[in-house]
Amino acid sequence: MPMDEKRLTEAFRAAVPDESVPPASFDHADVVRTSRRVTARRRAALAGGGLAVLAVVGIGVAVLPGSAGGGGSSVAAPAAAPQAPPAAAPQSADGAPGVAAEDAREAAAAPAPPLGPGTGECADRQDPALRAIVEQALPEVAGAPEAAVTLECRPGGERGLALHVVDAGVAGLLTVDYLPPGTAPGSPDPDTERTTAPTASGGTVTVTARSDEPGALPPYGQRVEELAGFLAPRL
Amino acid sequence: MTGPDERDRRVDEAAEHEFAEYFRARRDAVRRTAFLLCGDWHRADDHAQSAFVALHRHWRRIHDRNALDAWMRRTLVRAVVDESRRPWRRERAGEPPEPASAPDATDAVATRHALVDALRAVPPRQRAVLVLRFLEGLDVAGAAAVLGCSTGTVKSQTAHGLAALRAVLGDALDDLRPAG
Repeated sequence: MPMDEKRLTEAFRAAVPDESVPPASFDHADVVRTSRRVTARRRAALAGGGLAVLAVVGIGVAVLPGSAGGGGSSVAAPAAAPQAPPAAAPQSADGAPGVAAEDAREAAAAPAPPLGPGTGECADRQDPALRAIVEQALPEVAGAPEAAVTLECRPGGERGLALHVVDAGVAGLLTVDYLPPGTAPGSPDPDTERTTAPTASGGTVTVTARSDEPGALPPYGQRVEELAGFLAPRL
Repeated sequence: MTGPDERDRRVDEAAEHEFAEYFRARRDAVRRTAFLLCGDWHRADDHAQSAFVALHRHWRRIHDRNALDAWMRRTLVRAVVDESRRPWRRERAGEPPEPASAPDATDAVATRHALVDALRAVPPRQRAVLVLRFLEGLDVAGAAAVLGCSTGTVKSQTAHGLAALRAVLGDALDDLRPAG
């Protein structure tokens, strides 16, 4: 190691001497407790997602008998069903086949209530509800790994999602942020592709794409506007 | 003879014991790194705790125990850098601190404070490179692996980061600047 680098290393290591380090605000028990709580919540969310899928499949099963009668509109209904908001699915699954098809069409046509602000609790930064909507618009990122997970407190109900994505061989970060009403987004970073749009709940959604390599076109950079346009009426 | 349930319980206990030992050994070092990355002890503790929580959740899947430090660095650095891009917690890009005068050789405390203050004025990704290289002691390739970028990027970010430090520290950096 060159002498000057050694000196820099010594300076960095001396920058935070033991006597200046405040007591830690967490211990081993806190970590284990939080870890178990997060794991339990993830499992519950997965179980809930499974029920939602079953409900959507239920719509398809209820609609298919109608299509056997030759009704052209019934053929379109199962395809539209996955687009329907999960909350509408149980209602649609109740009636006779013809009624279910009608409900499914209405559910597909009527916009879902906007997602709006989150709960404000300290939680996973990655927002599963937001991710579900993003994946509707951009199915290519369905399996994308989430960026490093942290727990964050969001007193304003902000929502956030950050995914490591690869598009046409270019790796980078795709970030979606929902800001509640009254919160303004900051200025964009250089070397990013970003679009901001007002949402149905009065908040703001920003979609940002950044390449891992400086100078490279950000992955999905051409689709951030399309994604923001899809998200705006749903948030 | 022990049954599968008993064996699972013992494996769980052993894993928890291993994690507890790692936590005890590394907590303060991780907090310190987080502090230099973000410049605030409250956020540093948030990031450090979150990184340990993530580690605990993945503990059984990380088979190479020699890779734990690298895993933690990667998690911590990416979390801090990504957070800095978030509009609701974007770091204030206000006026940088006044350039420091050359420190008295005996004034070690002032020098330390000046360095910590100056780091806050360095853009997050460049700051991460400096912390990885000069606090964690990683070489260019090691820092590139943590940040998921090329060695060329690390070199340029190091140069830019040191230039930003110099803009704040002024002559005080002269004794610290690396060659080349």
